[in-house]
Amino acid sequence: MKLRVAIDWALGLFRRYLQARAVFTTVVLSGIALLIVGGFLSYSIGNGLYQTRVTQILAESERGVVEVQNTFSASTVTDEIALQTLLNSVVPSLESSGTVDSRQIALLRTPGQVGAQILQSPISADLDTAVIPADLKTQVRASSGKLTYQSVGLTQPNGSVHPGIVVGSPIEIPLAGKYELYLVFDLNGEQQTLDFVQSILFWGMLILLFMIGTVSFFVTNWLVKPVQVAAEVSEEIAEGALDRRLTERGEDVIAILARSFNRMADSLQKQITKLASVSKMQQRFVSDVSHELRTPLTTIKLAGDIIFASREKLEPAAKRSAELMHDQIERFEVLLNDLLEISRYDAGAVAADLEIQDVNGVVGSAIAGLEPLAQSRGSAIEINIPSGPVDAEIDGRRIERLIRNLLANAIEHGEGRPIGVAVGMSDSAVAISVTDSGIGMSRAEVDRVFDRFWRADPARKRTTGGTGLGLAISLEDTQLHGGWLQVWAKPNEGASFRLTLPRRQGMVFTQSPLPLPPTKVLKKSRKAGAINE
Amino acid sequence: MPHKILVVDDDNALREMVGIVLESEGFNVCYHDAGSGALDAFKVEAPDLVLLDVMLPGKDGIEVCEEIRGVSGTPIIMLTAKTESDDVVRGLEAGADDYVVKPFDPVVLLARIRARLRPIAGTSEDKIQIGPLTLDIVGHEVRRGGEKVLLTPLEFNLLHTLAVKPKQVFTREMLLETVWGYHYKADTRLVNVHVQRLRSKIEDDPDNPKIVTTVRGIGYKAGQG
Repeated sequence: MKLRVAIDWALGLFRRYLQARAVFTTVVLSGIALLIVGGFLSYSIGNGLYQTRVTQILAESERGVVEVQNTFSASTVTDEIALQTLLNSVVPSLESSGTVDSRQIALLRTPGQVGAQILQSPISADLDTAVIPADLKTQVRASSGKLTYQSVGLTQPNGSVHPGIVVGSPIEIPLAGKYELYLVFDLNGEQQTLDFVQSILFWGMLILLFMIGTVSFFVTNWLVKPVQVAAEVSEEIAEGALDRRLTERGEDVIAILARSFNRMADSLQKQITKLASVSKMQQRFVSDVSHELRTPLTTIKLAGDIIFASREKLEPAAKRSAELMHDQIERFEVLLNDLLEISRYDAGAVAADLEIQDVNGVVGSAIAGLEPLAQSRGSAIEINIPSGPVDAEIDGRRIERLIRNLLANAIEHGEGRPIGVAVGMSDSAVAISVTDSGIGMSRAEVDRVFDRFWRADPARKRTTGGTGLGLAISLEDTQLHGGWLQVWAKPNEGASFRLTLPRRQGMVFTQSPLPLPPTKVLKKSRKAGAINE
Repeated sequence: MPHKILVVDDDNALREMVGIVLESEGFNVCYHDAGSGALDAFKVEAPDLVLLDVMLPGKDGIEVCEEIRGVSGTPIIMLTAKTESDDVVRGLEAGADDYVVKPFDPVVLLARIRARLRPIAGTSEDKIQIGPLTLDIVGHEVRRGGEKVLLTPLEFNLLHTLAVKPKQVFTREMLLETVWGYHYKADTRLVNVHVQRLRSKIEDDPDNPKIVTTVRGIGYKAGQG
């Protein structure tokens, strides 16, 4: 478990930090390279040491063997005792000859000869003849006087094993027959030298590896740092600190990066500032125009009213003109008010006037205001509201306007069929839905329904004279309350708008108390239409 | 004798048009076209009511309103193009009785003017006592002890409305209907601002009112408890 955590942490570090990755890779690759070099060095040194020693040993052995053979060949001893004495002198003389102290000698009679062994085989004091491998003995017997050698392990009294070499040669001894002379050399000295060299190599490479790691850390740090700084600065710029820049130093690639980055940031800042000021100017413009239009519109309105009031005295054409003008002045005024409202939202200058109110009452007065229009279009308004009061903290004026808007839309597109208004509530939310069974909307139309000045069907005759800003303002009003305004629609089946608001400001809700699409519509068609949230 | 109305607006067309509307309704109209000199025009013409545009060259309508309030309680109705801004509240705080938002209906304008010129509904009594104040209905005077308290007609009307039924709590909507003549939902800031102005004139400590008290969440009433 702990290991997993550690691995995850390391992997995370790895994924997140380029530098960790670079250092790690450098260390691993140099480690492999060092391992190869170290192995080769160690092998070469070991081999060199061994070969030198073997050559030396063979030369010494050769000399020793020849000397011994000569001693025996030249000897004139005839009796066994003299021969034994001579034999016994061979071993110490060989033991002390040559450059290396640690050698042991065994002079063994080749078995399988005619006649019993009459002489005692001289053997170095602490030599165990078992170290002489059997196959070496065979080779020695087969060789015609040449030296044969083999590497062996020499077990020491303390249990450790030293590397060694056994050199063997047949010796012809007068009177006694065939003998084998074995010289056992201990290579512990060479082994120690090799061990020492290897440990030096090991530690040296370890230190080298550590240094490579450190150096690569600093080098990558030096390279990565500017990238890191660039990343941090970009992050800050992304968060809105448009005037943050990198320091440009030197002529290298990092400096080029910094310079290009700064140039990019400059141009971005310029563009954004320009766009922001254009947008602000535009908002101001809309607001100013709307205000400036108000004074002349007042005059026109007053004048129009006076003309309208005395229309009966006018000729038919002038009378109709007065009527048209009167209506259009009103429409103009509504449009101007909507424009002002949306420009207030754009400027962020809208604050909700919240008060705990009975939503049923707000819905009721909205319906009352539009009842005459609904009647004139033949749409009955079917109301389905809870019996008790539905209290919610809302800006009554805005919500009433919103519902009026939804109702006007429903009447406009309802084809004279009934319009359903429902109110629902839960602990945290209230919902109001307005549903018509009219022409409905396609998926693409649903997606655009809250766009400013968007009309579902430009070719369609407009009779209620909406401004095209109604739903855009409704959406803003909803967001001001922290609520949802959702729409479901299906071509030729109708549309349903559902407004869901928190009961109290700041209340969190995850579900609307009313279904969308409304159950009644669902019953008619199981296939779901398009829902835009 | 027809009421005389002073129209202060820098827009020639609107000024003339408003004049036509008012004259057609039998009012006597006089004009002024800038903020500067408006007070002089007021003094010369001595109108019964002032229609005052907020945005005026020279001196804005709010300053003019304060100047006129400095010398007279004559009803002032502000004409404003900006509903959302603080203009409305500032105008009311400067002493304007009411406001209409451009573009307005002639009907609305006339209704607002008539509401301000209408005499206070008569009561059977001539004098009403409320706390330390004595309201002289006939003389449109308020006295604290022997000392006269200067109230505008609107403030007098407001105090009178509350004082006639001392135990009743008036909602802002009720006061808007009775005092301002609104028969539909209107801006409750009118009531709030004017109650504050009234308190600053009649209360010993306007922050701790004893005569016109607030009933939390409902409205106002005369007297304590």
